[in-house]
Amino acid sequence: MRSVSVIGIGETRIGRFPDRSLRDLIQEAGEKAIADAGIGKEDVKALFMSNFNSQFLCGQGHIGPLASEILGLGSIPAIRVEGACASGSLAFRQALIAVASGMYDVVLVGGVEKMTHQSTEIVTAGIASASDFELEASLGATFPAIFAMIANRYFHEYGNVRNEMAMCAVQNHENALLNPDAQLHKRITIDLVKNAMSIASPLTIYDCSLVSDGAAFVVLAATDLAKSFSRKRIVEVVGCGQAGDTLTIASKRSLTTFDATVNAASQAYVMAGITPSQIDLAEVHDCFTITQIINTEDLGFFAKGKGAFALAEGKTAANGQIPINVSGGLKAKGHPIGATGLSQIYEVVTQLRGEGGMRQLKQADIGLTHNIGGTAATCVVSIFRGR
Amino acid sequence: MSRIGTIYTYSIVHSGTDNFKDKTPYVVALVEENQQIRLAQVEGYTQDLQVEIGMKVEYLAADERNNRIYRFM
Repeated sequence: MRSVSVIGIGETRIGRFPDRSLRDLIQEAGEKAIADAGIGKEDVKALFMSNFNSQFLCGQGHIGPLASEILGLGSIPAIRVEGACASGSLAFRQALIAVASGMYDVVLVGGVEKMTHQSTEIVTAGIASASDFELEASLGATFPAIFAMIANRYFHEYGNVRNEMAMCAVQNHENALLNPDAQLHKRITIDLVKNAMSIASPLTIYDCSLVSDGAAFVVLAATDLAKSFSRKRIVEVVGCGQAGDTLTIASKRSLTTFDATVNAASQAYVMAGITPSQIDLAEVHDCFTITQIINTEDLGFFAKGKGAFALAEGKTAANGQIPINVSGGLKAKGHPIGATGLSQIYEVVTQLRGEGGMRQLKQADIGLTHNIGGTAATCVVSIFRGR
Repeated sequence: MSRIGTIYTYSIVHSGTDNFKDKTPYVVALVEENQQIRLAQVEGYTQDLQVEIGMKVEYLAADERNNRIYRFM
């Protein structure tokens, strides 16, 4: 396999844009990424498009040719990839394999989702389709309910971390204040999180990630060609792992460790030849506050059962030992499902290039993205190094 | 003989899909019975009930998909 690098990134603002079309979101983010890479459209040899649920939410399938038409990419192969909330990083991984194999020199990866034009009930049903419909959704187990069950079990096994979960929300909102692309620019307090409307106990609305519209794109190229296109810092993809797990919560080996994360991370660390302590920043999948805490343990940043206390001690803050979700995360930057994995990569590449503006970290040479789908039934972990 | 299960974990759901909008708040739980854990509904939740892991619940019926429904005792 040959080395592959990210040479272009582009995203829309993430937010509530019920009047913007899928077409419009794809065009803005896709054109930005192509321009950022310094390539011509004729250089793009394949398109990998991530989308979770536009067939249900927007009546629109066949996102591959939709995007290639909008972006004027001609007759190149266009492929849609779906893996629930991990769709974006799954598409990224397929594109990575396609370039690493030598099949293509330059490919475009995009993700898009449009959600906010639908009612909360419709969106909840749409997201619930990423669980097992017969065994879970049909019983009224929404995704907040599934992760609420995980939180209650975590409390039982490791102690009640309700306060720390609230601190997680506060921290991610704080980070988003400095991100112009974030959906929410709103400072919150621990009391506000804990006393807000209950969605599925113990989770309130402030423990949940956002319902969002948005698109994000990434251009990948063979590293030996990257410099011929891009004048920016080349960001090499040094590790990428993918693992799965059972779809249903009832069949998991553990509810408080996600095996898919542990296995995907292990693959990525081995491929990159690094250890968790060498990571300068990570964007991790904070679909709910409890998820972020579990992820920081499963990724090897903190010992099992210690993630909440590490967060409370400031270790995951922007000025901490391992800054987590400096973008604001799914919690405050937003969660346009098909775009989310690519929006995480957008942040890591931005930081590694030193283009983070007000939120730029001092030390940013190695970054990690972690993206899960469903009840951690699909996981992709990627590691990036600035050259 | 009644069948008894034990709550392995649970959540009280306040925001549901259209099909469950009129049933909130309702309880979904992982219930352990004969060393097997299944996702189930637990009927009979009221606000003064303190739901806890380890609580015993009584088997009530299976739904049309053969999912289990229990009730608080």
